[in-house]
Amino acid sequence: MSGYLFIQSQDPFTEARTTHQFALARQLFAAGHAVRLLLVQNGVTPARQGAQTPYFDALLRDGIPVSADDFSLRQRQIGDADLKAAVTVAPISTVIDALLDGNKVIWN
Amino acid sequence: MDHRILTFAFMEPPFESERTVTFFRLLDAALAQGAGVRVFAYEGAVALAFARQAPHGNAVHGRDAEQEAHPLSKDWIAALQAKAAEKGLTFEWINCGLCVDERGVNEVIDGCGRGGPPDLWRYAATAFNTLTIGTR
Repeated sequence: MSGYLFIQSQDPFTEARTTHQFALARQLFAAGHAVRLLLVQNGVTPARQGAQTPYFDALLRDGIPVSADDFSLRQRQIGDADLKAAVTVAPISTVIDALLDGNKVIWN
Repeated sequence: MDHRILTFAFMEPPFESERTVTFFRLLDAALAQGAGVRVFAYEGAVALAFARQAPHGNAVHGRDAEQEAHPLSKDWIAALQAKAAEKGLTFEWINCGLCVDERGVNEVIDGCGRGGPPDLWRYAATAFNTLTIGTR
């Protein structure tokens, strides 16, 4: 079993390929791998309550841990209370922790 | 050298994309956590270390260069070099030479070198881990 951290910079409102990126994360998770996402830049926008993002929401339903970069949230004036319930806030150092833990870290 | 090294491959030019800011935040976070850093810059990213970058004012808003405090990527690199030196950590930066020649950005700040794809291979092969940030 491998550990994967997907750094999700693209958002589903402007990038159709996110459908496949989210699908890959779900497939790896279903196959038993440790998968999580860190949303950065415009990638944080589907985490906002009320965002209509079925492919992203499927990740949350599956129980895949999803965090949003605190700096990217602040830039967009998205507060903690604005986030969907399963999304947590995390610092960018999450990426470094994952790299130093030997995870496969993939930029989307 | 008793610290782990992380390699970053980056291709984004300066002054264009939010990816550049995120990239520099990652480098800063790596040093903050005691990891050494090696960067292989290719395509537009070779201009990040271009020594002749210059700040400018903003006439529309009536600000001179000092007031505008326009951020320059070469200064961010220099700041990271200083942070690494202070902490006794590795910080290496190699620009792809072919990409440099294409863009005419040969003059780089001290501490940044010139190389090619074999350097990326060497960096990745000897690093504890590697992150490639592609341009989408």
